[in-house]
Amino acid sequence: MRTKRRLLNLDKLTKPKGKVVFIPERCKECGLCIEYCPTQILEYSTEFNEKGYHYPIIKPGKEDECVGCGFCQEVCPDFAIYVELIEPKLQSNDAKE
Amino acid sequence: MRIGVFICHCGRNIAGVVDIKALVDRVSTLENVVYATNEMYLCSDPGQRKIQEVIKEFKLDRVVVAACSPKMHGATFARAIEEAGLNPYLIEIANIREQCSWVHQDLRKIATEKAFKLIKAAVAKVALAKPLEPVYVPLTRKVLIIGGGVAGIQAALDIANGGFEVYLVEKSPTIGGHMAQLDETFPTLDCSACILTPRMVEAARHPNIHLYTYAEVKQVEGVVGSYKVTIEQKPRYVDPEKCTGCGDCAEVCPVIVPNEFDQGLGGRKAIYIPFPQAVPAVYTIDLEHCLNTEKLIVCEQCYKACGPKAINYLMGPKEIEIEVGAIVLATGYDLWPIENLREYGGGEYPDVINGLEFERLLCSSGPTGGVVRRPSDGKIPKRVVFIQCAGSRDPKHGCAYCSKICCMYTAKHALLYKHAVPDGEAYVFFIDVRAAGKRYEEFVQRVMGTDGIKYLRGKVSKVFQRNDKLVVWGVDTLSGVAVEIEADMVVLALPIVPSQGTKELAQMLKAPTDEYGFLSEIHPKLRPVESSMMGIYLAGAVQAPKDIPDSVSQASAAASKVLSLFSNKQLALDPIKAEVDLEKCVGCGECAKVCPFGAITMKKRLDKKKRKYAEVNKALCQGCGCCMAACRKEAIQVEGFTLPQLRAQIYAILDAKPTKVEIKKKEGGNEDKTAIVKPR
Ligand SMILES: Cc1cc2nc3c(=O)[nH]c(=O)nc-3n(C[C@H](O)[C@H](O)[C@H](O)COP(=O)(O)OP(=O)(O)OC[C@H]3O[C@@H](n4cnc5c(N)ncnc54)[C@H](O)[C@@H]3O)c2cc1C
Repeated sequence: MRTKRRLLNLDKLTKPKGKVVFIPERCKECGLCIEYCPTQILEYSTEFNEKGYHYPIIKPGKEDECVGCGFCQEVCPDFAIYVELIEPKLQSNDAKE
Repeated sequence: MRIGVFICHCGRNIAGVVDIKALVDRVSTLENVVYATNEMYLCSDPGQRKIQEVIKEFKLDRVVVAACSPKMHGATFARAIEEAGLNPYLIEIANIREQCSWVHQDLRKIATEKAFKLIKAAVAKVALAKPLEPVYVPLTRKVLIIGGGVAGIQAALDIANGGFEVYLVEKSPTIGGHMAQLDETFPTLDCSACILTPRMVEAARHPNIHLYTYAEVKQVEGVVGSYKVTIEQKPRYVDPEKCTGCGDCAEVCPVIVPNEFDQGLGGRKAIYIPFPQAVPAVYTIDLEHCLNTEKLIVCEQCYKACGPKAINYLMGPKEIEIEVGAIVLATGYDLWPIENLREYGGGEYPDVINGLEFERLLCSSGPTGGVVRRPSDGKIPKRVVFIQCAGSRDPKHGCAYCSKICCMYTAKHALLYKHAVPDGEAYVFFIDVRAAGKRYEEFVQRVMGTDGIKYLRGKVSKVFQRNDKLVVWGVDTLSGVAVEIEADMVVLALPIVPSQGTKELAQMLKAPTDEYGFLSEIHPKLRPVESSMMGIYLAGAVQAPKDIPDSVSQASAAASKVLSLFSNKQLALDPIKAEVDLEKCVGCGECAKVCPFGAITMKKRLDKKKRKYAEVNKALCQGCGCCMAACRKEAIQVEGFTLPQLRAQIYAILDAKPTKVEIKKKEGGNEDKTAIVKPR
């Protein structure tokens, strides 16, 4: 309802960052990753892979918007996609352990 | 039988209209009346003593008092005759003030005649009165308080400190209510959180207070003395025992949504704590926005980040059953939705905001750290227009009432805005300034005299956008000119309305509300914190718009009522309750069907035929008389108001006697009894 508003404390809220890694040759174009990505940053490639399928790519301009939730990785039946977290705080935490 | 009649002048209230002397003479001739007298003020101490002396001297066994409404002094006179040794139910009050002298001021003769008939009817009724004893029911000396705002917290602390157990149920993840959202409070400008949060912590730590947050009351059964209550607690998906409130989870949560506590002006994560001082200091996953669903749990960044492993995605709702003897309702208020004020651009322009939003912008722990910024572009507004009575005192909008606190908080807003933006200008449109409270008027005068704050008496007709400004069209009725102000931000003082869900809660408890949905008190002056549903007490803004001092006073008042109720181990109830005559009851069940309180159950007799009969639960029965009207066999009667008593009263007023009872057999065989009344 309250349209055209921006959240006034966005500069204080950080989101984790992820990096999506694709293994296109494994993909069979089921589309689950595109369907399940909560940030909606994935789409089909126009290219075909060796098996003749369109595989997922990141929508142009959305490269920085992966939050590393891991949904794509979890739903992929072919182990063709996975996520690496590049959020700085987590990395340093991991390093400690 | 020896009946005494006492007629009160009530100063000139009654004696100014009714001919008291003539009345005394006529009343003395009535059957069973052995003594009749009059007194200036019967309710006064000498008046009551007179009644007691006469009872003893003339060996009266019943009393009629002709005075004001029994609602006013019925209990006073009952107590007086009890002290003189009579059963307190052997009295009848003839209301010759509200029902006679006040409404017939110009008709002295007729009024005197009517007063006589009312007394005659009371004499006839009291002649059939029986001594009654209070009904004792068990009393669970624990209390349920619904709503954890400042009112609920205060009531909880007072009762808990009085030594009784309290269940405090709060809908949101934290207690504190609206007061927690405020910046500084009028008229002293002390920081709201600084005075409230210690109380919140005290309530949570109190050994006598069981705190249920993120919970709602789902069901209430029973009556005063013993309510069975079911509380439903929503899952937080975070174990409150393990959560340390460190916030590592929220840091890594990838979802940002508007924070309700900040009125949506700032964001929070899907795993969140509404504000840093929240009580309990436990995080909550808002499953509606969490990337995980009930069926699919994938994103586990908060889970991984949580050191004490407090997160549990598999938590379910919890039901808690408790028993209490009394209930305090303190569910507070909401602001009327801003979208209702389209003419002021409510809901349409992002920089037209409500008072609570402005509080969050002022607050140093708010989304902007206390820098006043526009929600549209984050710029600091240099000219702000405040509109009072934006919906209140406006029957067209359905809020005919005054919201009471807006004059004060608008003055506060204007001043705090000037503190935050010293070169800014504030304009306040008002109809009247209502500042009746200790040091309130002085505060408003101080604000009105502040440079850069201008008060304009008049209404605003329209607010609209021009470029990035909001144009306010209004009128200054003191100078008689139309004004146009180009503002950066507009703050509306919207009506205070009962909080969402209060209506359903009131229905569940059968506690009456007024036409606006605020809970009704039983007497507006003398019993302002009690619902007419016995055992239910009201505290705070849920009864009417109130500021903090009033909310807190009412909460303490409600607590003292609960404490006095709990001062006895058992509960003595007025015996004006339905009584079944087993010889007449045929077990048809009509009474049970009409009883609004579910007080009647049909039981089987132990005899061979196993016929049914009605049984009244005295604790539930409120003596309303519906059953009595429904029973065709006159087998169920309300004590103190039995059918013979009511008939005697009517015959006395009509100067009639039942001459004959005809029993016609209708076709189909139903008996139709008709009592024919003829004038004597
Ligand atoms: C803009 C603004 C500024 C104000 N400034 C001041 C000021 O400076 N000084 C001052 O004295 N007063 C001020 N007030 C008034 C103040 O906010 C109220 O007096 C006070 O908050 C009333 O307290 P309460 O406990 O009755 O209600 P609330 O604060 O509304 O608390 C009610 C609580 O009950 C909970 N609840 C609601 N329904 C249920 C349910 N069904 N089950 C369980 N829990 C439920 C709510 O979540 C809430 O926690 C201001 C008000 C406004 C709008």
